[in-house]
Amino acid sequence: MGVPELCAIPEARRYRLTACLQLQFPFILVLTFGPETTSPIKLPPALLERARKLTVEHDQLTTALQSDFDAKKAKRAGEISRIADALKQFEKAKSALSELQGLLESDDAEMRELARDDLEATNTQLADSSHNLSVALTPKHPFADMPCLLEIRPGPGGTEGRFFADTVFHMYKAYCANKGYRTRVVQYESSDSDGQTGSEGEIALQEAVLEVQEPGAYGLFRGEAGMHRVQRVPATEKSGRTHTSAVAVWVLPSFPENPTSESESDWDNPESDFYIDPTEVRSETMRARGAGGQHVNKTESAIRLTHIPTGTTVAIQESRSQQRNREYAWRLLRSRIAQQRREAREEVSRQLRSSVLANSQITRGDKIRTYQYQQDRCTDHRSGLDAHNLPDVLKGGETLGKVMESVQAWLVNKDIQALIADEEAAAAPKKESK
Amino acid sequence: MPRLRPSLFWQARREISPLAAQLLPACRDLESAANELRWIREHVQDTPSSVPPGLRVWNLVEKRGKGVPLQYVLGTQPFGNLEIQCRPGVLIPRPETEAYTLHLATLLSQSQHPPPHSLSILDLCTGTGCIPLLLLHALHASLPPTTALNIHGIDISPAAISLARANHHQHNPLPAPASPPLSPSHQRTLTFHQTSIFSPTLLSSLLPTLFPRSSSGLDLDLLVSNPPYISASDFARATARAVRNHEPRLALRYAARWGWCRPEDVFYARLLEIAAVLKPKRVLMEVGGMEQALRVVRMVGRFSSLLGGDGDGDGDGDGS
Repeated sequence: MGVPELCAIPEARRYRLTACLQLQFPFILVLTFGPETTSPIKLPPALLERARKLTVEHDQLTTALQSDFDAKKAKRAGEISRIADALKQFEKAKSALSELQGLLESDDAEMRELARDDLEATNTQLADSSHNLSVALTPKHPFADMPCLLEIRPGPGGTEGRFFADTVFHMYKAYCANKGYRTRVVQYESSDSDGQTGSEGEIALQEAVLEVQEPGAYGLFRGEAGMHRVQRVPATEKSGRTHTSAVAVWVLPSFPENPTSESESDWDNPESDFYIDPTEVRSETMRARGAGGQHVNKTESAIRLTHIPTGTTVAIQESRSQQRNREYAWRLLRSRIAQQRREAREEVSRQLRSSVLANSQITRGDKIRTYQYQQDRCTDHRSGLDAHNLPDVLKGGETLGKVMESVQAWLVNKDIQALIADEEAAAAPKKESK
Repeated sequence: MPRLRPSLFWQARREISPLAAQLLPACRDLESAANELRWIREHVQDTPSSVPPGLRVWNLVEKRGKGVPLQYVLGTQPFGNLEIQCRPGVLIPRPETEAYTLHLATLLSQSQHPPPHSLSILDLCTGTGCIPLLLLHALHASLPPTTALNIHGIDISPAAISLARANHHQHNPLPAPASPPLSPSHQRTLTFHQTSIFSPTLLSSLLPTLFPRSSSGLDLDLLVSNPPYISASDFARATARAVRNHEPRLALRYAARWGWCRPEDVFYARLLEIAAVLKPKRVLMEVGGMEQALRVVRMVGRFSSLLGGDGDGDGDGDGS
């Protein structure tokens, strides 16, 4: 009787059967919704082995640092210290649990009672610490500390999608303003095909690029990449039908204005994802044919860069200064190429992983979120979070922050699963060879 | 100039703004009308004034719509990383000039190892002073502080010289005079002088005071010039209306014959004559198109004996 009801709940929404009580009624189900953040993760032995190795390394580094200080060693020790801490907590919880299990088998009835009381608390502690440990073991995204570029473009679907693209653009801009992140509009182009505005004065957006200059913005916004779907009655709709359209959001790491010595962001370093050989780029100034120089004084400052090996093209005409346009164009091109390289690498490693994970990999085509105007709700399809108060989401308020946080938690969980899969895949051939 | 379709005006009015439609006669297409309207709005936003912003935008758009160059309407033109002030009566800096000036600055700072003890540069027909100012900025940033810079700009127009001085005042990378002066050998100076380059006293009295003498002529590393080069027929046919109606003719064409050469080439003859006396290490002159470039190269051939054997005229062709 309860089972068909369960099936009716959308797949995207994860639920957990917490308790099933049988009273006079045949079934009463208590369901908890939301992302499973604290679900016990079974740590594979390979992962634990790695954590132990890193902890040993950490201890060695700390003793070495006590006698003589070395910046490189200190940095490495800082990086792996959270793994060491997490492992210590995990082992503490584990030993506590085995102690309790010993007590459960003791002859003293009172002892057994006490142990049973403690058992549940210790179990959750163990689950928490194993989760923490796997979070600590998950490598940080290499671009996570960088500022980012948000590229917003309407999907197919005509004017309505373009209006919504403008809404999405203003949503992120307002969110950054609320959070106090510095932003800069790199590109904001309306389409020429029509002159109407949306119900809230949106313009028909063709393409917009917003730079969030906060360090670490890439880590905050990387979950926002993908197709954002909108379901609403457009301003242009006469008979009140709901339309569905989509807006694509790309999140690209942005090259910081003041380069640090980090190899990832050093674009002169051929090892870096941001490195582009200048000879592979064709630069064009978009100007009319005919006499130039003193003969004309048109304000043609637009710049188009084409990366010949990949065919990636960037055109910027935002500023009156050609030099500034060229700088922006180069930065945008670098970011796009870096993202493409990273995606290509991720694709390779994704193919190595199990097929279960392949479905949840974010690619540009996936629909990630729905903004439902009639039901006043914003649903994220990955974390399964349903946020009400859609106006606050679109104003870039706290509700949007909650949605973004839920996606981050989901991304972390996904990374952990990927890590476990990788470790197991790496461990499997070793066993076979033995 | 072909007539604009009325539908284009409607489109501009509907899609961008009625103000964009007003800009169309000057801008000729939707995209640049939209861009220029945005730049006008940004300019009004960035410069505080007691006049309401809406009215200021409207006034500027009206002026631009009547064909006044945007650079005169806004009063500036970006040139490299500088915002050069522009005023009616002085030629607006062109993107081609910007491109070769930046290229020149990279060549000057990278080609010599070890970096030279001093660099001296003379810009003739300097106008807004954009070329020497950008060179000063670029070289100041890229050359080691041990290299002295001695840069001079010359123009016949008092309006140009006062504007060039105003631009220099606004974009001065050098430490203020109040701070302790550098030793004379490491000084970096830029000065503008108002005189005609045809003046008989230029070679005999002015220039020798600006640059130290060397064994063959004067110690000059670079002679650069963007002289008036448009011919009378090109001026009537090939120039844009905004240029013809609003920019100074003095900076665009020279109408009288001078000796054996064409009116539009007179400046190059005089420039080469000056170069023959000063014997600078490099010469860069902007020319208006391939034909003129070839004529100037032939002229360099005639002067080569005077220039000292190898005619190292660096012609910079632009346009068609």
